[in-house]
Amino acid sequence: MSQRYFEDVHEGDELPPMVKNASRAQLFLFSAATQNPHRIHYDREYAAVEGHPDVLVHGPLQGAWLSQLVTDWAGPKGRVLNVGWQNRARGFPEQDLTWRGKVTATRREGNRGIVELEIVETNPEGQTLVPGTATVALPLRGS
Amino acid sequence: MTETESLIPPEALEQIDRLVGEPQSATISRRESQRYAWAAGDLNPIYFDEAAAREAGYDGLVVPPTLLGWIMEDGRPLDQLREDGLYKGRRQGIGLRVSRTMFGGQEYDFVEPIYVGDTITAETRLKGLEEKTGSSGPFVLTTQETTYTNQHGRVVARGRVLSIAR
Repeated sequence: MSQRYFEDVHEGDELPPMVKNASRAQLFLFSAATQNPHRIHYDREYAAVEGHPDVLVHGPLQGAWLSQLVTDWAGPKGRVLNVGWQNRARGFPEQDLTWRGKVTATRREGNRGIVELEIVETNPEGQTLVPGTATVALPLRGS
Repeated sequence: MTETESLIPPEALEQIDRLVGEPQSATISRRESQRYAWAAGDLNPIYFDEAAAREAGYDGLVVPPTLLGWIMEDGRPLDQLREDGLYKGRRQGIGLRVSRTMFGGQEYDFVEPIYVGDTITAETRLKGLEEKTGSSGPFVLTTQETTYTNQHGRVVARGRVLSIAR
C-alpha cells in the first residue's frame, strides 16, 4: 500500500473505484464478527417475510467498506478523522457493489493536510445504496 | 397528525440526553479485531502486522475503527431471541410506539487510534427523536451518540447511529 501525500491531492480528484462482491459466507462471517443474529442477513426464507427478495448486506458492513476505501487510498500514514453514511437502498450478496470517492475540499492544518471526500456506493443498476462522506488527514511531503 | 397519534410518547422525549442503559466496557482482543477485518475483507497491514503498524506511526496493532460499535455485544439466552432473530427488548427504555427498527446510517469521529488490548468504555445517550412522514407512512428518526473512552481516560471516538423506527 503506497503512501499518499497532501501535496498530490486536489479538489475534484477521484479515488480509484473499489468493487466489493459479498458471498453469502462473508455475510455470515460479518454477522458472527458483530454478534448480529438478525435473520435477514442469512435466512433467505425469513428475509422474504420482511419483504426482501434475498438476504441483505449489512448496513454496517457497508460502513466498514466506506472506511476501507478511504484508508486504502490514504495509505498507512493517513488518519481517517470522520466517516458518515446512510443506507438508502438494499445491497444483496453476489452483486458487484462499486465504491467511488471524490475530493471536495482540501486545507492545510499545521504539519498535515485535511481532505474532505464525498463517497457513493452503487449497485450494478447504478442505484445509489450508500451516500457518505469522510475526512482524512494526510502527511505532508518531507514531514 | 394529532398528539395522541404520535409515535413518540412524551416519556420518550424526556429521555433525550440521558444515558441509554449503563456504560459498558470491553477489552479488544487481537483475534476479535482481526476476525472483523477478515469478515469485512479489509486486509490493511496495520490491523495484522505490528511492524507495519509501527512503521506507519502507530504504537501497536490497530483495531479497524468501525468495529467499535460491536465490541460490547454480549451473548444472551436463546429463549430471548425473537422471530426475526434479534433479541427481545433491545429498544426497551425509549418506549416508541413502533414495531420495527431499521439501521438508517451512522457517523463516527475517530479522535485517537484504537489498539489491540485496549479496554474501551462506551456511554450511549439518546440525542434526537424526530417524527417524519415517508412514502410508506410515519416513522421516527432516532439518533443515539456513543462516546468511546480508552483505559487512559482518553476519548478515542464518538459514534452517532441513525435508526428508522416505524
